[in-house]
Amino acid sequence: MHEGIMFLEKILSHGKKERQVTEDIREHIKLLCTACEVFVTALEKQDRNLMMDVIELEREGDAVRRKVISHIYEGAFLPYLRPDLCKFVELVDEVFGLLKDTVSYYLEAGLPAKLKDDSIRVALLNQRMCEMLLITFEAMLRGEDLREKILAIRIYEKKIDDIKFNLMSDAYQVPIENFWKGKVLSDLLSSLTSISDMIEDASDHLQIIHLGTR
Amino acid sequence: MWRLLSGVFLGWSLGANDSANVFGTGVTTGIVRYRTAIVLTAIFVILGALLEGPKCMKIVGELSHILPNDAFSCALAAAITMTLMTYLAIPASASQAIIGAVIGASILSGSADFTKLYKIVACWVITPIGALVAGYTIHRVLGYVLDKTVVSLTRRSLFYSAGIIATGCYSAYSLGANNVANVTGVYVGSGMLTPETAAIVGGLSIAGGVLTYSKKVMMTVGKGIVPLDPFSALVAVLAEGIVLHLFTQIGVPVSSSQAIVGAVVGIGLVGDIQTVSGRMLAKIGLGWVLTPVLAGVMTLGFTTLLT
Repeated sequence: MHEGIMFLEKILSHGKKERQVTEDIREHIKLLCTACEVFVTALEKQDRNLMMDVIELEREGDAVRRKVISHIYEGAFLPYLRPDLCKFVELVDEVFGLLKDTVSYYLEAGLPAKLKDDSIRVALLNQRMCEMLLITFEAMLRGEDLREKILAIRIYEKKIDDIKFNLMSDAYQVPIENFWKGKVLSDLLSSLTSISDMIEDASDHLQIIHLGTR
Repeated sequence: MWRLLSGVFLGWSLGANDSANVFGTGVTTGIVRYRTAIVLTAIFVILGALLEGPKCMKIVGELSHILPNDAFSCALAAAITMTLMTYLAIPASASQAIIGAVIGASILSGSADFTKLYKIVACWVITPIGALVAGYTIHRVLGYVLDKTVVSLTRRSLFYSAGIIATGCYSAYSLGANNVANVTGVYVGSGMLTPETAAIVGGLSIAGGVLTYSKKVMMTVGKGIVPLDPFSALVAVLAEGIVLHLFTQIGVPVSSSQAIVGAVVGIGLVGDIQTVSGRMLAKIGLGWVLTPVLAGVMTLGFTTLLT
């Protein structure tokens, strides 16, 4: 009986819980876009305070992620869709995680001048990819075709792969003081260039959710 | 009145088995809880039995001149056959079991009217084929309409939730309307019950099976169909309900299990998906032959013992 009333409430509320979840996911991706933008500015200005702001944004993103997951498990959307929606949110959170790692490595070791330009280009493309991820998410909510948007994300990712090749070639020429400095620099470049892969995975997952409801 | 017990047993086993065809997917995908599903199924089965159940009662009695003892033997043989088939995991149809049993009884009395049997067998053949066509057509048409009208993810999700519950209720109604004749039709034929009383007794016994012993089969069948997406699950149950309802109007009780398998195959054809294996089809074929034969032979034995 109680469940029947809950179901009627769900229908009559026109999907209040679902709307709450989509608004939260939107906020999550927007936070990611902001974090990427702040990171680009921080890299350009070599500003450590701005880098700390990225870490703060990651914490905010984590809080939103928890909110989304709990709303989903309170009964938003079909049970069939819930694991995929949660997986998408987790993938976005992993992007946040990689961004935070990149910032941590930067704060630890800094960035050699020789690598700065290419790193900024990668960070800028990451930001564009996040914006495109938001556009793709909105399109998925409206039930539109996602193929072109996902293709755009893949093109961005390809560009980053090309830059990564140059970046690594330049990195080999950077004089390294000791093993740990080299390790941290390597990790910095690795996490910076992995962000795009994770965004691509997230966009692919949007396509899975989209196709799952067709 | 003790002769009604075998019919109640048949109704109970039918309810325990066939409710899986109604809400199996809804329950195993978590859209509706098991308790809600069985309550909804029981309510709509009784409604269907009461409102349209008598439509299919006539044909069972027309097959042969049935005496009260025959009615008891037929229902008991059908119930045991169904239980045995379920134990062997062979999809079986209660209508095939009861018709096989009635033919078995009529062999002894020599009163079989085979002209009615042709109509019934034709309907058995048409059931899975009709469900296949219905599943395919509904998937195509409803899919097209939904893609044009209910596009947003939120609305789609709500539509599927409401749709799976609505189609489950409709399918339960059709199950009650069509299959109650399998349970108590023989008692109407023997003059023990009026169609209305038979509908009440049959409806309540099916509901009893749904409420007390349907969980295991529901989980097994539901999980077997889970690889279907929610839309396909909704279409399969809707196609099954429509086919059962159509045959109710013709006045022939048919199999809900065969209807849902046909619908699932039809949906598979839309996306060129392998939904049912050759082994599964062979099992269904085996059930087709074994169920009426076994029920008929068993009835022969019971009737001989009672007389």
